[in-house]
Amino acid sequence: MSAGAKKRIMREYGECLADTPPGMKINFDEQNMTKWEVLLDGPDQSYYAGGHFKLEINFPNEYPFKPPVVAFKTKIYHPNVSNDDKGSMCLGLLRPDEWKPPNKVVAVLRLIQTLLIEPNIDDAIEPSIANEYKENRKEFEKSAKDWVKRYAK
Amino acid sequence: MSSPEPIPPPNDRRGSRASSNADISVQDGNGVMVGGPPGSPSPLQIRASNSLNSKNRRRPIAKQPPDVHLLEYCHTPDSNLVCLICHSPFDKPVKLLCDHYFCRQCLEHAWAAQQDGEKTCPTCRSKVDVDKDLRPVPRIIETMLDELVVKCPNSKSGCDWSDQRANVHDHVMLYCVYTLVQCPSYDCRLHISQKDFHKGCLHYTVSCENCHTSMMMKDLEGHQRTDCPGRSTNCPHCSAEVLRLDFQAHVKEACPKVVIPCSGAVLSCTFTAERAEVASHQETCVVAKLAPHFQEQQARIERSEARLEPLSRRVGILEDGLSNITSMLYPANSEPSLPLSEPLDPTSLEAFPPAHLTAASDFRLSPNPFPSVPQNDVPQTTQPPFDSQIHHLLTMHDSLREEVSRITNALGELDGRTNMMIINESQRQKDEMLHTNAAINSMRMQLHWLMSATLSNRNAAGSSTARASASTAAASGSANSATRGASASAGLGNRATASATLHAPLRRLSDSTRQDTKL
Repeated sequence: MSAGAKKRIMREYGECLADTPPGMKINFDEQNMTKWEVLLDGPDQSYYAGGHFKLEINFPNEYPFKPPVVAFKTKIYHPNVSNDDKGSMCLGLLRPDEWKPPNKVVAVLRLIQTLLIEPNIDDAIEPSIANEYKENRKEFEKSAKDWVKRYAK
Repeated sequence: MSSPEPIPPPNDRRGSRASSNADISVQDGNGVMVGGPPGSPSPLQIRASNSLNSKNRRRPIAKQPPDVHLLEYCHTPDSNLVCLICHSPFDKPVKLLCDHYFCRQCLEHAWAAQQDGEKTCPTCRSKVDVDKDLRPVPRIIETMLDELVVKCPNSKSGCDWSDQRANVHDHVMLYCVYTLVQCPSYDCRLHISQKDFHKGCLHYTVSCENCHTSMMMKDLEGHQRTDCPGRSTNCPHCSAEVLRLDFQAHVKEACPKVVIPCSGAVLSCTFTAERAEVASHQETCVVAKLAPHFQEQQARIERSEARLEPLSRRVGILEDGLSNITSMLYPANSEPSLPLSEPLDPTSLEAFPPAHLTAASDFRLSPNPFPSVPQNDVPQTTQPPFDSQIHHLLTMHDSLREEVSRITNALGELDGRTNMMIINESQRQKDEMLHTNAAINSMRMQLHWLMSATLSNRNAAGSSTARASASTAAASGSANSATRGASASAGLGNRATASATLHAPLRRLSDSTRQDTKL
């Protein structure tokens, strides 16, 4: 990774510190600055309220020309998060062909937060969960809260 | 068989010698070159190649220009001046057709990372034609960028410079003493900051004498100043805490409790006391006030004496040279003390062996110019003889110079003549060789013709015998009466006549061809 990219990640971290979205905490390791650990509280107005989710943001070597990779380390019942041990999340500006170098990590964090409040059904990675969200909101809410209780407390 | 180079005009020899390698080798071949055997490079060449080598071997300064992207800014820059890709203020910004601004370098990186090779604006993805759509940014933006205040990139090493960004390149490349340069040692490839350059190679391991950690010599000072746990000590005189590194300097210059003499000690003031007391004593001590002037005078005297020494040596050398010249001029009176008035005496002149003076090839003066000078001068105007001797020396020098130039001309002429001779000689030999070659060639042609004639002859003979025997067989068959011996003899005769008839036209034919080739 070039010195310029490292400098940019440092600057972005500084920006995030100054302007962290509410309910978020970033653990930053100066030795390995390409891997951020984010602690995210489920937003109050979402089905995930009360949960604490651990995310990992990995910056590829080509950053900022390639998007950062976001992964939920805590299991979450969500149509846009893959339901496996990776917990990967790939939509919107995080998609390689959508990503632009001027995008910022803060925007990524904001996107994640909005997705927790309002899942994006059209761009789902788990079609069964998306279907359930669309057709049977009650069932979805139950499962989501159940998973929060089970994994994210 | 190369013909020699055209002969340089004799007066031009010095210039042509230095002009090129080819010229030098030619001069060597003619044996005119001085210094070193023929074919060896001239001293000038050797020196030139040496200096070239030393230049190639080592570039003394290999400073890295500062990377603008990595600079630290003293104030948070205006967000409008920040590149969206590197998130630092623009470095050599360019403007795209879509009015988006980027650092040139960032844009190139972004395009290098795009797989499809299509160049688009990183912000709005509109297509970009590199040749047309990269525009310079308005001057005012560049000025604003240049005026941003940055810290020196070496601030971590201790430089506390900070100024406008436009000056950072000059500061790092020229002035900053913390800039890394190549280590002065020949076999060391590491870098060292410029302020330690004169200390030689500091890239060897030492052990800190206070904490016994091992480190590179170049890091020792910084370690003892900031890191070493045992870096400070108490001054035994004033019990103040000082760094071990500064201890000597502290005792020598600052410690108020150290006993020192009055600064007038050089002028025999005997007062000694602690530094603080001495300071108050010096307020009143007259001698102490005079001391600086005294020392200044002393230094001046020393300087003059130092200057005097080479001067006197030079005078000695000149005197030696003078006496050498005079003893050469007057070999008859080679007494240790040179009689300045005598040598111009006409009688002493007569002591010269006339053969020496009249010999035309001798480099010494021809007899007429210099005897006339003293003869006219000394008896008539009774000038101090020293003056006339200088005069004499000057004329001597002049005529020597003429002699030398005459010899140079003669040498040049000789050189030219030799060259001419060589050319003539070689030309003749060349002609002779051409003749010989031509003769050889014609002989070869003849040989070839003879060979081919013999070969065709032999073939023709073979076929004619076969034909002859066939005809005799037919004849014997039809007659039925001839004897075998007769037929054999007839066959032989037939063969002989046939070969004879074949020979004659062939020779004539080949004769005619030969005449053709000759013509």
